[in-house]
Amino acid sequence: MSAGPYNYSYIFKYIIIGDMGVGKSCLLHQFTEKKFMADCPHTIGVEFGTRIIEVAGQKIKLQIWDTAGQERFRAVTRSYYRGAAGALMVYDVTRRSTYNHLSSWLTDARNLTNPNTVIFLIGNKGDLDAQRDVTYEEAQQFAEENGLMFVEASAKTGENVEEAFLETAKKIYQNIQDGSLDLNAAESGVQHKPNGGQAGAGGRATLNNSSAGQTRENCSC
Amino acid sequence: MFHVPVMDLEELVKHKLLPGHKLIAAVQAGLVQEFVKRDRALALIEGFEAADVSAHLDIIAANKRSGAVPAVEVERAVLVLCSTAEFLPSSPSQFFIESVLPIDARFKYTIDGLEISHRSYALTDGNQSAILLSLSSSRHQLLFEMTFSQKTNIFVSEVMKAAEGVSKRKAPTPEFTWLKPYLNNSASSGSSKPSAAGDHNQNSQQIFTIEGGSPCLVADLIGMSPEGADGGSQTVNSDGGAGGDNFIETGRDVVANRASPSHKGGLGGSLAAEDEADLLRVKDITLDNFALNQSTFYKPAVMPVLAGARESHVQHMMAQRQGSYTHALPLTVFVGTWNVNGVPPSIGLIEWLAVDPEPPDVYALGFQELDLATEAYIFQASNREPEWRAAVLSSLHPAARYVEVKLVRLVGMLLMVLVQEKHAKHVSRVQACTVPTGIMNMLGNKGGVSVSLELYNTSVCFVNCHLAAHVEEYERRNEDYDCICEKTVFVGPSGLQRYIRDHSHIYFFGDMNYRISASPEVNIRKLASAGQYETLLKLDQLNQQRRIGRVFKGYSEGPINFQPTFKYDKDTDSWDSSEKQRQPAWCDRILWAGEGIEQRIYRVHMALKISDHKPVSASFSSQVKVIDQAKYRRVHEEVMKQLDKMENEFLPSVSLSKSEVVLSPVHFLELQSETITISNTGQFPVQFSFIKKLNDEECCKPWLKIHPKSAFIPPGGDCVVRLDVKVDKSSAWVLASGAEQLYDILVLHLDGGKDYFITITGDYVRSCFGSSINALVHLNKPFCEVPVAQLIDLESSAPQKTLELPYAIPKELWYLVDHLHSHALSTEGLFTRPGLSKELCEIRAALDAGMPSRELGVSVHSIAQALLVFLEALPEPVVPCSLYPAALRAAAEGYLPAKQVVSQMPDYHRNVFTYLMAFLNELLVHRHENKLDASTLGSL
Ligand SMILES: Nc1nc2c(ncn2[C@@H]2O[C@H](COP(=O)(O)OP(=O)(O)O)[C@@H](O)[C@H]2O)c(=O)[nH]1
Ligand SMILES: [Mg+2]
Repeated sequence: MSAGPYNYSYIFKYIIIGDMGVGKSCLLHQFTEKKFMADCPHTIGVEFGTRIIEVAGQKIKLQIWDTAGQERFRAVTRSYYRGAAGALMVYDVTRRSTYNHLSSWLTDARNLTNPNTVIFLIGNKGDLDAQRDVTYEEAQQFAEENGLMFVEASAKTGENVEEAFLETAKKIYQNIQDGSLDLNAAESGVQHKPNGGQAGAGGRATLNNSSAGQTRENCSC
Repeated sequence: MFHVPVMDLEELVKHKLLPGHKLIAAVQAGLVQEFVKRDRALALIEGFEAADVSAHLDIIAANKRSGAVPAVEVERAVLVLCSTAEFLPSSPSQFFIESVLPIDARFKYTIDGLEISHRSYALTDGNQSAILLSLSSSRHQLLFEMTFSQKTNIFVSEVMKAAEGVSKRKAPTPEFTWLKPYLNNSASSGSSKPSAAGDHNQNSQQIFTIEGGSPCLVADLIGMSPEGADGGSQTVNSDGGAGGDNFIETGRDVVANRASPSHKGGLGGSLAAEDEADLLRVKDITLDNFALNQSTFYKPAVMPVLAGARESHVQHMMAQRQGSYTHALPLTVFVGTWNVNGVPPSIGLIEWLAVDPEPPDVYALGFQELDLATEAYIFQASNREPEWRAAVLSSLHPAARYVEVKLVRLVGMLLMVLVQEKHAKHVSRVQACTVPTGIMNMLGNKGGVSVSLELYNTSVCFVNCHLAAHVEEYERRNEDYDCICEKTVFVGPSGLQRYIRDHSHIYFFGDMNYRISASPEVNIRKLASAGQYETLLKLDQLNQQRRIGRVFKGYSEGPINFQPTFKYDKDTDSWDSSEKQRQPAWCDRILWAGEGIEQRIYRVHMALKISDHKPVSASFSSQVKVIDQAKYRRVHEEVMKQLDKMENEFLPSVSLSKSEVVLSPVHFLELQSETITISNTGQFPVQFSFIKKLNDEECCKPWLKIHPKSAFIPPGGDCVVRLDVKVDKSSAWVLASGAEQLYDILVLHLDGGKDYFITITGDYVRSCFGSSINALVHLNKPFCEVPVAQLIDLESSAPQKTLELPYAIPKELWYLVDHLHSHALSTEGLFTRPGLSKELCEIRAALDAGMPSRELGVSVHSIAQALLVFLEALPEPVVPCSLYPAALRAAAEGYLPAKQVVSQMPDYHRNVFTYLMAFLNELLVHRHENKLDASTLGSL
């Protein structure tokens, strides 16, 4: 058997943030299970999902944290931003208020993650075009002004869901490749497996694996 | 794991063996099927053909005398044993043989490391403490996970040895008839599959070959107890999963897991030295006993995780689903062999290479004695090679265009492989190898030249050989064959080694030089000329050697309906007339091995007369596998998705009886308890803990106590978490002042899984306890009647002027002190005996209600304690924090500085201080009765 024992060479941590009910959990579910979960229970806490994807021939394991969006949990969910390599910031195209709150989510994301964290804006429920309350153009402009990647997606139809998660990973990978994301930084949100598969270009000589465990230690008793 | 001490396992297996059969090694292993790991034991055993028993004994006796190596070779097989016992299989009857894998030419194994890491946020750097061993026979393809121990090491290396021995063996083809009892044994336990032990006259390996021949799982073949119901299924046996603990998963199904770090210690985690291994063995025994006593104990570290090396699993599963993304493409393969006796190609080869109406898809042409010039031996140079190559290229079938894939030559042996142009892009991994077997196995006058390639998605090997000459030298030919099999190895770019037997399709041909062993009275020439081939073919040495299994095990050869190909006078069809008078023989042969190969034609080409051999050819219809890339991707994606899905489903999950706790009004010092039931709804043990939030020191507010803060819940189990809420002096003020609410969010974290938030909300009923002196002096009505807004306002730094004249000291303080003053000045043990907490609550309620405490029927000790608590709960102590250092100094220095400190106190504080001091003084006056002294009070 030619393949090594490892089947992925990186782990990227993602968080999904945004107001309650915008479809964060549905997006995660659609991405990991390729199914729409219409009667998704409210997230009271932080859900967790994983999937292995491939970027530039590298297998990457995504560890995705889906946070509760209720305002009252805001202070608690902030604990989870740390060490995220990617942040998916979601609003609901049919509810203007969820869009209006983006700047406050963005502030949190910027303050609580590292400067290289890729922030991807998702306008969810794109399938409900008739009830649209936020135009594509204004959101696009908001994204541009804030240097965010952006798509409109639908957790229901699956449209652009895959893309959003993959594009984020590609961008992170690209950041690793051009050196702007320092894997040695404790909060890069990326873990690299030393002997990983085809150990690609990211395989620097001195990867600090001890930083790998940081993600949770911060918030455990 | 069976968790029997290794010695016991061996003993148990030995009981299963028939007399004369030997146990080489036994080891515990997990049989991995889809996502499920089942406990099994593997045993490598040794036996010999029943018919050989007497011979064997004879030989052993003979060897005792001569000291020679026994000629009868033993055969080895792997038994897979299963236990019906829940725990330790203590008797052999609880053990049955599930499947038998003979180590024959079809036997293959691969070994893969297994990443052992409990799915955690930290990556353990590549602990390779388990291995994945994949074993396949013609009948089974099984994947085992084994802990990396010395036992495992021994087992695996013995299997490797045995497999290697098979390719080298000189003894007859192993019949493995001795294994039949085991096979029946395994089949008898409920098998619906007839044991295919029938027609072994054709090919001995038939016993272990099932029709159709595609690899399948044992469980599919043998519906045995106790897993009969779900054998080979993808579902996870949930109650089996409950045995996720290393110690108690004995004999039951568990989801294959990456063994936990602590698992490593279990079965001798490393290549321990012998004595160390003994120690570990002892440890195992005690652990086993422990497990029996503590069957409900779950070890937290064992978490359900998908079976280890995912990549291996993907490969394994892809292999099993091969049928769903491949289709067979029939290709015509033309194989030709010709010993040209060193002559130049003076004639065209069309009558050899292009006699069929349809052009073949593949040509594999082998020449021998292409060049007999000395230079060819010494310098490897040959003028003949280009000549013959050109002759071949100009004589290929005219109806198609061909490209040469590979040409390889060793002295006189030349092998050319060509494919039709349209197939060229489907040929990959082309490699060649030459093996000399001439004098000292160094000289290339004899030997084999081979080409390995991937034709579409089937690995194909062509071997052109020239074996030792002369009638009586058949054993030498056998050895040449052995040597070619052993030494022909193709090394891929990744270092992967492929032997001839590792290919799916093998064509083995050439001048094998096997002759007709006939007694002098048999007239070979006459029989040959008369076309009585049957008689001669019985005497054909190759047929004889194959019949006894000495060479070409697993190969087929089509029926020979043509005259011997050797030896003719040049340019004639007449038998050798030289003085050597060589007898006719079928020296030139074509054999094949592999599934999906059908021979259509096997013939001699009499028209080509320039050599003393006539060329031979065979045409095959060979089904090569073609991977449908789209389907492959789809299946691959499915497999990956399934793995992802499983991985997500395997995440621990619990349900909470509530995620919000609403407290009834919380009073100062009054304990309120709530419970939350955490139920493990997953299939695996769950470790939970309440964790700290960002920037927090503790996982909850100081007024909350959680018990337990972390625990382990078995699948289906519950854990009741008690939440004790009690606002005491330390948190009263922050709550009273409105700086904080009685509100907290607890983060319940599952090890390896998601987090749950639990919200605690409640109203804190403000009390005079915990209120400041400044606020209290401004309140002239009962505390509980004061609006909250006013209280908050009073507690703020700049209270608005109230119209009423404030009290000199808080009235509540006065109540308490007054009570003590009038009832307890001479009570023994005042302030040193504890009060009753129930009474304390009553006092608090009474004070808040504005009721003088003297009307309460409570003990003075409770009142005394209430006074202390009252003082302690003051947000700003009587002696304000800012003056505290000065006060300490003053206390040491004397009256004047002390007086100065007192004068610096805020008014109401000074009042309280003076008042208290007066009271304390009085207490001291009564010291004889109340047994207080200055130091005790001072310490208060
Ligand atoms: N029509 C439509 N409904 C959606 C979509 N995504 C989520 N929903 C619905 O929106 C509600 C909230 O989704 P959920 O994932 O729980 O939101 P969260 O609070 O952000 O995690 C659910 O009732 C979903 O069925 C979408 O793309 N289209
Ligand atoms: Mg949600």
